Amino acid sequence: MRGLAKTLFLSQLLIFALAGCNSMGVEPWERDVLAKEEMQLTVDPVEAGLDDHIYFSKEASSGGRGFGGGGCGCN
Amino acid sequence: MATKKRKSVAASLATATCSLLGNAATEPVQAQEEPGWDFNTALLYYDEGDGRVQDISFNVLANRTFVDDRSLSLTFVFDSLTGATPVGAVPFSGPQTLTRASGGSTYNVPANEIPLDDTFLDTRYALAVNWQQPLGRLYSLNAGLSSSFEYDYTHIGANVELSRDFNQRNTTVSLGLAIANDDMDPEGGAPIPFAPMLDVGDLSNKAGDESKDVVDVKIGVTQVINRNFLVQLNYSFSDSSGYLNDPYKILSLVDAVTGDPIPRTPAPGAEGPLHEYAFEHRPDSRTKHSLYGQGKYYMSGKVLDLSYRFMTDDWGIDSHTLDLHFRWPVGESSYFEPHLRFYTQSHADFYRVSLVDGVPLPTYASADYRLGEFDALTVGLKYGWKLASGNEMSARIEFYNQEGDAPRNQLIGNQLTREMYPDMDAIIAQFSYRFGK
Repeated sequence: MRGLAKTLFLSQLLIFALAGCNSMGVEPWERDVLAKEEMQLTVDPVEAGLDDHIYFSKEASSGGRGFGGGGCGCN
Repeated sequence: MATKKRKSVAASLATATCSLLGNAATEPVQAQEEPGWDFNTALLYYDEGDGRVQDISFNVLANRTFVDDRSLSLTFVFDSLTGATPVGAVPFSGPQTLTRASGGSTYNVPANEIPLDDTFLDTRYALAVNWQQPLGRLYSLNAGLSSSFEYDYTHIGANVELSRDFNQRNTTVSLGLAIANDDMDPEGGAPIPFAPMLDVGDLSNKAGDESKDVVDVKIGVTQVINRNFLVQLNYSFSDSSGYLNDPYKILSLVDAVTGDPIPRTPAPGAEGPLHEYAFEHRPDSRTKHSLYGQGKYYMSGKVLDLSYRFMTDDWGIDSHTLDLHFRWPVGESSYFEPHLRFYTQSHADFYRVSLVDGVPLPTYASADYRLGEFDALTVGLKYGWKLASGNEMSARIEFYNQEGDAPRNQLIGNQLTREMYPDMDAIIAQFSYRFGK
């Protein structure tokens, strides 16, 4: 139940955030910088995957950027 | 003349339409010109020093783009792991003898040292395949399968993510789902929770193989703020159920006054542990919630990439992660990228330094240092450069440090005077090469 309430609350937050987003952004012809490779959210997916795997193995947290990771009996 | 004019009007209209549609309309045109494979390869060396875990990892990510923005990606990872890892037992002033996880032999730990099992040796293969394609004008679908194989561990998983663009593609909302099933088959069998460590050859404290199921849900929003600024916000929910113990982790049974391990005598003629130890016992379910925010900011060529994650779970662990990358171009075709990462976590409710003799067992207990309270810091530097061929190379070196403390109120007698938490210093070195075909 607690999980569901949290999810609902966050969805509400998302909807409000979306409404506010209308006033932000750029025109389609202003995307030159955003189109650059170094401006992508994940520039180097292999490095991101390796880091996720290291920290998943050595810490009690995982995921956030992507899915929770896993798939190892890491020591 | 008239025909020529009509053509140029049509061309102008097409150009304008493409501009209005933004990326999605222009990218397929590029893709049609040059469909092909793009390979990201990396060799990683990870070393915790002092004979602890060492990993050599080889990674290949192959991407192929097709017409209409569809793309296929294949990932292959090979890991070779060796070294020793803390088992959870406490250090004390005398030597210790423990039975290996396999139950097949014993190993010795010198006085005053945190017990490590030095037989950690594994090879891991991971394979993943992902398919991405637009659905109509505003939706995009990404679906994939993942798997990994170790000597004692098998993982299979599937994931799907649907995203939709809003506000002239300045806002993207995505919803993702991932499911996984992991099987564990440790040598000698998975230990029965809280079962005692036994003499060599006695496997009555082990059961057969075990498994766990994991479901992840992710809701994300990406928003373009202005020409140079982009943010992402994700909420993730993760539910694990099944066998969540680490089959190689144990706890020492200690004296209520001295805090030293309780002595044990192996059966006549048998080889076995000389102190009392029990296998850990974690709950069989875990629910995690995390909030992740990332911002990318472009400052005349330099790029600031800052992210923060808060995670909380029903095991009592809260964590904060702050991650900072700063890309600094040098000349036309190379860059430096310093990296800083701060991490802190609280310990799990059932984290225990040791089990106390004469006191009833808690419902759950684990002395796994990764469930303890600690801070971690990563400091790194990367250098990347583009070759004349257009291919790219990069090299990075990073230092990762973990420093923790055992909860003071759990320490008994002599434990108060000893370093009970296994701090760690690891080095991460990586070389990457990206090329297209």
